[in-house]
Amino acid sequence: MNLPPDFPPRNRWGALLAQLPAGQVRPPAATLELELEVVDITLPQSGLGLMQLHDSALNDGFYLGEIPIARAHVRVKSADGQEGEGGAVLLDDRARLARAIAVLDAVLAARLPGWEAASTLVEQGMAAHEQLAQTRRALLARTHVDFSLLGQEEDE
Amino acid sequence: MGYVAIKGGKAAIEGAAAATDMLRAGSEHAEPLVLDAIEGQLRLLVSRVVSEGGLYHPKLAALAIKQFQGDTLEAAFALRAYRSTKPRLLETPPQNTAHMRVIRRISSAFKDIPGGQMLGPTYDYALRLLDLGLVDENPEDFRAIARRFLADAPETELPDSFPKVLDALRAEGLLPPLKPVAGAPFDITRQPLIFPVPRAAALATMARAETGSLLAIAYSNMRGYGDVHPTIAELRVGYVPVMLPHPVTGEPMEAGEVLMTECEVVAMFEGDAEGKGCGGKPVFTLGYGACFGHNEVKAISMAILDRALQKGMKDGAANPSEDPEFVLLHVDGVDSMGFASHYKMPHYVTFQSDMDRLRTTQAKAGIDTVRQKDTA
Repeated sequence: MNLPPDFPPRNRWGALLAQLPAGQVRPPAATLELELEVVDITLPQSGLGLMQLHDSALNDGFYLGEIPIARAHVRVKSADGQEGEGGAVLLDDRARLARAIAVLDAVLAARLPGWEAASTLVEQGMAAHEQLAQTRRALLARTHVDFSLLGQEEDE
Repeated sequence: MGYVAIKGGKAAIEGAAAATDMLRAGSEHAEPLVLDAIEGQLRLLVSRVVSEGGLYHPKLAALAIKQFQGDTLEAAFALRAYRSTKPRLLETPPQNTAHMRVIRRISSAFKDIPGGQMLGPTYDYALRLLDLGLVDENPEDFRAIARRFLADAPETELPDSFPKVLDALRAEGLLPPLKPVAGAPFDITRQPLIFPVPRAAALATMARAETGSLLAIAYSNMRGYGDVHPTIAELRVGYVPVMLPHPVTGEPMEAGEVLMTECEVVAMFEGDAEGKGCGGKPVFTLGYGACFGHNEVKAISMAILDRALQKGMKDGAANPSEDPEFVLLHVDGVDSMGFASHYKMPHYVTFQSDMDRLRTTQAKAGIDTVRQKDTA
């Protein structure tokens, strides 16, 4: 019933699951819904959020623009009476995806039956995220300016 | 003189829509553009549209680019129209750009910045020569580009985010202190710009401004109609994780990430040796620019104009780029494009009136227009 020590914290599960194609996330959530009782605490919604920043020059707050938001909040109950709440807020406009992730969040957080499938998905999301991070690190590593070479190379 | 309701033209308007779509499709052998290709291969165009549309939705921006055949103004307009149909669910807490997952960061102020300079993806050092190899690109070679790039990347331990250059200057006491956090910022999507407006309104307006408009006014300042004389302390491009409260725990959770460009410029210092000036001590003045997507020229232009507008708000505008009303009311692409485009609409009655007045004036002046024409 325990997750590995390097398993990501709950506040990253949503973003990691959202790294995966929706077609990979929705079916396991739908399977869990067949076996568990899922109640919407708030109806899944999609819309917009206004993104606020503090400018790093003087610290004035301002709105950079709007972002798509999908969110869901559910309560999940198993046949043996165990229950847990799950939620998701995504930069996405697919409310059904947010609900699927909220179900996985509840199942995993409360270790309800089927939590292993949810944890596997989070691990797959982590792998996808790591691949992306690796690509970004490569962008930096290959373009890191080494000023110490200036003037030392004959052709410079 | 007003407008007049007219009938007719329905078939022509429908035909115009069909004609536009026909040109989009081209010949029977053409392949439709795939949104993923637009999003990836025309990423800077998508960046421009998300930024000017004021909505970070790269997929819909790609769709708008496809639908409006590359017209950035129309594409941004479509995003604005889309956003007006959606409910607003929340306002985010202030997001911290220090956590940006950087893909590019440079400084023209210092050679050695904490964490180092990374050029990332840029054309800054590219020769502006056409690459004829792209005319008939081999799909296999195209697909191998990313693989080769990653294979050649050196093995290094690099962090995802880096400290800000300004923090070092601030620690030395060379910058003005950070302002205390105020209340909710000005929302330009719900409140009209009635001058004077706070800096938050100026920053939000410029963040979704049309790139060329911002650049043109900033350029006037650079060329001499102003005296910002900026040095780029830091220009960074990267993905900012958007943190929102988890619906169950209330703890901040990552909802996703937003690609953005951010620029901080250091400008002329204010104050003097006698302690007159900013807080009794001479310090550099600063300008800030930020926008959705990868738009470096826009972020730099915005930072210059931010500094110019701060000066104008404080001392009065000495040139157009320091005048908040002039700058902020003329940089929005959707506004200005709409005004320019409305001239294409029928003005039959107003122009008839103009002609009547001209004829009356000529008659009063004793000019016989018919005889004049005959003589000619």
